Amino acid sequence: MRIVGILLALAGWLIPLVGLTVTQSLTARFVLVVLGIGISLIGILGVLNKAHLKNAIWKG
Amino acid sequence: MKKRFGRMKICSCAVVALLLLCGLGAWAQGQAGSAAATTTPATTTPAMDVPLDVKAANPPSTEDLAKGDPEGTKTGTVNDIVVSDTKKGLTLADVVNQVGQNRIGINFTWTLICGFLVMFMQAGFAIVETGLCRAKNANHTMMMNFMVYGFGLFAFWVCGFAIQMGGGAPYSTLGGASSLNSEHVISFLGKNWGVFGTHGFFLSGATYDVGVMVMFLFQMVFMDTALTIVTGSCAERWKYIAFAVSSVFMGALTYPLFANWAWGGGWLSQLGSNFGLGHGYADFAGSGVVHSVGGVTALALAMIIGPRIGKYNRNGTPNAMPGHDIVIVLTGCFILAFGWFGFNPGSTLGASGNGALRISSIAVNTMLAGCTGSFGAILYMWMRYGKPDASMSGNGLLAGLVAITAPSGFVNSVSSAIIGLIAGVLVCVSVELVERKLKIDDPVGAISVHGANGIWGVISVGLFADGASNYGGSWNGVNGSVRGLFYGDPGQLVAQLIGVGTLIGFVFSLSYVAGWIMDVIIGQRVSAADELEGLDIPEMGALCYPEFVLKPEMVARAVEATSQIKSGFRIAQETA
Repeated sequence: MRIVGILLALAGWLIPLVGLTVTQSLTARFVLVVLGIGISLIGILGVLNKAHLKNAIWKG
Repeated sequence: MKKRFGRMKICSCAVVALLLLCGLGAWAQGQAGSAAATTTPATTTPAMDVPLDVKAANPPSTEDLAKGDPEGTKTGTVNDIVVSDTKKGLTLADVVNQVGQNRIGINFTWTLICGFLVMFMQAGFAIVETGLCRAKNANHTMMMNFMVYGFGLFAFWVCGFAIQMGGGAPYSTLGGASSLNSEHVISFLGKNWGVFGTHGFFLSGATYDVGVMVMFLFQMVFMDTALTIVTGSCAERWKYIAFAVSSVFMGALTYPLFANWAWGGGWLSQLGSNFGLGHGYADFAGSGVVHSVGGVTALALAMIIGPRIGKYNRNGTPNAMPGHDIVIVLTGCFILAFGWFGFNPGSTLGASGNGALRISSIAVNTMLAGCTGSFGAILYMWMRYGKPDASMSGNGLLAGLVAITAPSGFVNSVSSAIIGLIAGVLVCVSVELVERKLKIDDPVGAISVHGANGIWGVISVGLFADGASNYGGSWNGVNGSVRGLFYGDPGQLVAQLIGVGTLIGFVFSLSYVAGWIMDVIIGQRVSAADELEGLDIPEMGALCYPEFVLKPEMVARAVEATSQIKSGFRIAQETA
């Protein structure tokens, strides 16, 4: 799950970068970058952190 | 008919008169022009090497100067201009060269003194973090903050500076520093992307240059600020050796890489010239480059290391673990606020030319945002919990300062106050989110103060930049002043958001993977027994307060901690 989280975080970064060349539209670029940030956050806080919390010290 | 002819005559006369008048006017103008042309002296190149007659400057004689100058009117005259050829005497060339060197001298002095102020912030961070930790870990926390300066500096000198600034020249305020002129560029999606610099390793070769040295010192203390953020979020359970390796890695690679993309001529700074997004990613003094890089790295490592024993109960509810000295916490906040006057106004890299007089506006913006940041935090805590919390007031001040760091050079005072106020509330909300929802233990609130508010600062440039700044007529190679969404340039906001995406997506991932590898190889976390005892003796070999009797932890927390240990956490690892 940790690797999935990291891959999502990286994918979220790459989406707006690719979007820069795919479209010239400012609105489309805005939407893509917000989407990318959202995916990165899901990867970090949703997937990766959940993987850490699974074996958290206080759950023992 | 007669009448008609009479009118025609009058009209004809009028037209003739008008034509005559116009002709006369044109002739007069031509005469005046030619007269002016004949009276204007021919342009001549001033003789630069002809000795000047300096008597008119009325310089004081040697006898006058020997009497002393209590009024300060005889010191600093034409006598003090450096003459290149004493036989020839003072020439215009000497004067012009002196003017140029004075400007660069002012800029060097300004930038170096601001760098010294930023260096002093290390002391502020050290006592804020130590004060927010428990007394049994004070020596360990202080020593992390003390040595992060050395570890970071060394790594930055070896390669970090070259990666960051090796291709960013020219820096006109510092006389060019032109040897920093090699940026490694890759071609991707049909565009060239600057990735890292390649000149300046060990500050050797052509980078043995006075301008480069100023740049190195100023950038180095910024880098160290980012590194010391991480020690706060990992305090009270981080192995000292892991901290040392992690700091060297961050000073050598993580920080310089993002700083190159933003400040060293890298691809983020080119978003304006390559893709028409405003002026590219604009981060005046480093909300993103310094604070967010530190904040997201702190998040990555805090996740890997995990919470302190006793921080969370079995049902996941958090316990408060108050720091041991609120006096040094708030004193540290004041030191940091003082140092921030080096951080933000110093980022003009000069006080003379290129619009650098805006340092006054930047300093006021910095003050204001810190002020409203502490207002925001204290009001939030007062209304929500009924008391004005001291540590959160301090964090509110820092949050306001962090948030204004990126926009300080681009916004007006009203915007600064708004940015700071939002930052003050945001830090409280973020601390609650991190602690209660995400269950990430951050003893000093570094993730919220620097990570969340650093990102807010980056975004706020894209909203509030008012287009009134002018640093040499362009920013990141795009002519004109930086404007945000509210001042007519939505492209700038998109550029800022791409910077945010890079911080969250790339910098976090790099830090996490590096931290994970280190965890596997050397282990990031101390043993449970050491953690309960306090890290001063097991890790540092000496107590910070040997003459103090350290009060036992609250009974409930001790019981909880013991049960966690009994349940097998870490003990199993140690046994294995």
